[in-house]
Amino acid sequence: MAVTNMGSTPRAETESATQPTLDQLRKKPTADLGGQIFLGLLLIAVGTAFAMVGTVLVSVVSDGFEVLSTQFWDFLSNPSSSDPAKAGVAQGIRGSLLIALVVVLVAFPLGIGAAIYLEEYAEQSKLTRLLEITVRNLAGVPSIVYGLLGLAVFVQALRGITGGSTVISAGLTLSALVLPIVIITASEALRAVPSSLRDAAYGLGATQWETIRTQVLPAALPGILTGAVLSIARALGEAAPLLVIGAAAFYSTGFQGFLDQMQGAFTALPMNVANFAKLPADKWAGHAAAASVVVMAVVFAINLAAIIARARISKRLSR
Amino acid sequence: MIWQPLQPSLKSRGASAAIEGLLYLLVTVLVAIVEYYVAGPMTDFGPSNWWIAFVIMAAWTGWQWAGAQTPVGSYVDHYIADRNGLPACFSCIAVRQLTRFGVLYGIPFLLLDRNVTVMVLLFVLSGVAIHFTPNGRAPWDLVAGTVMTESLAGETAPVLPLLTAASDLRVSPQRVSENRRARRMMQLAGMSSVLVSALIVWSIFSEAWQFVAASEFHWGLLRDIGWFPRRNKFDLSTLIVGTLWITGIAILVAGPVGIGVAIYLSEYAKPKIRNIVKPGIETLASIPSVVLGFFAIAFISPSILEPGGSLIGVEFGIFSLVSAGIAVGILTVPIVASIAEDAMRAVPNELREASYGLGSRKVSTAMRVVFPAALSGISAAFIVGISRAIGETMVVFIAAGGSGGAIFEANPTEPGQTITAAMASLGAGTDSVAGSGIAFQSLYFLGALLFVITLLLNVFSDVIVRRFRQVY
Repeated sequence: MAVTNMGSTPRAETESATQPTLDQLRKKPTADLGGQIFLGLLLIAVGTAFAMVGTVLVSVVSDGFEVLSTQFWDFLSNPSSSDPAKAGVAQGIRGSLLIALVVVLVAFPLGIGAAIYLEEYAEQSKLTRLLEITVRNLAGVPSIVYGLLGLAVFVQALRGITGGSTVISAGLTLSALVLPIVIITASEALRAVPSSLRDAAYGLGATQWETIRTQVLPAALPGILTGAVLSIARALGEAAPLLVIGAAAFYSTGFQGFLDQMQGAFTALPMNVANFAKLPADKWAGHAAAASVVVMAVVFAINLAAIIARARISKRLSR
Repeated sequence: MIWQPLQPSLKSRGASAAIEGLLYLLVTVLVAIVEYYVAGPMTDFGPSNWWIAFVIMAAWTGWQWAGAQTPVGSYVDHYIADRNGLPACFSCIAVRQLTRFGVLYGIPFLLLDRNVTVMVLLFVLSGVAIHFTPNGRAPWDLVAGTVMTESLAGETAPVLPLLTAASDLRVSPQRVSENRRARRMMQLAGMSSVLVSALIVWSIFSEAWQFVAASEFHWGLLRDIGWFPRRNKFDLSTLIVGTLWITGIAILVAGPVGIGVAIYLSEYAKPKIRNIVKPGIETLASIPSVVLGFFAIAFISPSILEPGGSLIGVEFGIFSLVSAGIAVGILTVPIVASIAEDAMRAVPNELREASYGLGSRKVSTAMRVVFPAALSGISAAFIVGISRAIGETMVVFIAAGGSGGAIFEANPTEPGQTITAAMASLGAGTDSVAGSGIAFQSLYFLGALLFVITLLLNVFSDVIVRRFRQVY
């Protein structure tokens, strides 16, 4: 041992004269000043994004705190009114609920069905290409354009069925709006199902529909549900299409029966926010902020529910 | 293959029918309760509740109909068979359920003064009647001459003879037709997106054409002192300048922040930090745009722009294009960030490792290797961000001022109007606008313009991603 060591030492010394050692190659931490500055800039960007989230939440909540703390239940249960002390968002809550119901009944079956067709049945054809292209492009169409669709088709052309500017028209319009989102998220969930599952089912003699119903759909359910629920949150936050199809700023009716409710004037939570925000700020800013808090609470609660449901279902499936 | 005829000798048949009736009644009452809370004290507990209950039950259990079962039937393993003893088709069962619960139970329900107790009694009685009616039928099946019977699911199993030919291995005709039916239904659902696209294009362009073809219209109309559609002043440049300002400011805000977040998330953040930062950014994406509109006039204008503007000697009002543009930018950050991050994460690790192997620093790897490799995706992120900013409505409608109309204004510190905000203010007065000539059609004209612009941008971003994507 000692001999080899002694023999190798002079060689290492001569090598180090011509080639740098590993230690010399390693940069000193302070040398990478540019890298540190770059990381600093990135952190500033992330910090800015977080500051945006924080400022929006804090400023809106603090603006709405007075209204929410002094007249919480009145605000939630009163209809719109021209008197700031009495005005509330009950009509908006009711409208949003009914719109969500229509979206669930229309957009979910259509969207999930379309995703199943695209992912499971469709073979490479011109029709399939057309479907994929339209879905992708529909996802990029601005929401107010869907309002025009709703106004021309659901409010005017189909007035006999929808009754004009009603919750049904609004729900159908928003269904068209979230349809591409439902299709895209459901397609992704279906694509993530391993094909071995399908092969196993086919191997046992199942038909394609049986394979989809008993194997593919249950496995893709968490993803499909999450996407579907998130699309509901999106629909509940949209105001622009409702504005165009004629959601009312104010309407005064007492309590109505369910069918009257579906066929009468309507408004929705984001419309409440927009209406309050358009009124003179000195009296109404608190109401706009409070209504904003309610909308955000609903949307965040739905998002949270989606996350929890997803975790639970995937846990149950993996067992 | 031989299918054994059914043995309609079921003892629990009557009970299941009674339970099914009670289930419908329960849902009807639940609907009435929900209605009470949604719509207030009810004036009428009657047919509408019944029908709504039926629709709910149909939506809930309709998928079982495809398997020739009813909700209670599936629980006790009954299924409905047609006259050949094969499981009945979807529509047969839909009709059967509709007659049973819509007509046979619904009409007595109305006649008997909507008395729940009497209805419960009726269901029990009908269950008893079914129990004693032979051949798996209900008494009214005898009257109506229907032949659908109910039986145990186990008895649908085919009697397997010795296999004599390859054709014996074929799937039963019922399963084949069910498969075909399912495929057709999914295809119809798939067509819905094409239908929506077609309706959008048709409705927008037919009305926009009315605007261009109207007798008052001439192209000179599109150049005026401002946008006042109700006074026949349709100056497009007002709207286009406003839209450009909003989009430009939004991208100035969202571009650096979004790309910075994307680089940090994909190149620097450890998984733990990523799991905190990413949901935080996604929170921004789920804030409704009306809230951002209110935020612009309640915070950005008075607390940032006014003090900031007075420092450099510019005066900002509550409503300005800058304020709205910043708010739109905040909305656009998560879109730019998520698309750009996806693009950078799609760059394979081999490239990073090769770069590190050559001794480059982290910053060189990120900026000289990963960034260029992901450039197509990052530019797509910008374009999609621009397209979102152009299409954003509520923020501008609330915060840019100029609802109803605007004088041509090139200065972004003043209130202004964009294409979308002009549409929103036209739409907000939909009832008065409808049918009042050219102003209403101008709404669609703007819609067509917006549709074409965003469509081109989206197609453009698609082309960039496809053409310049590096294939690894």
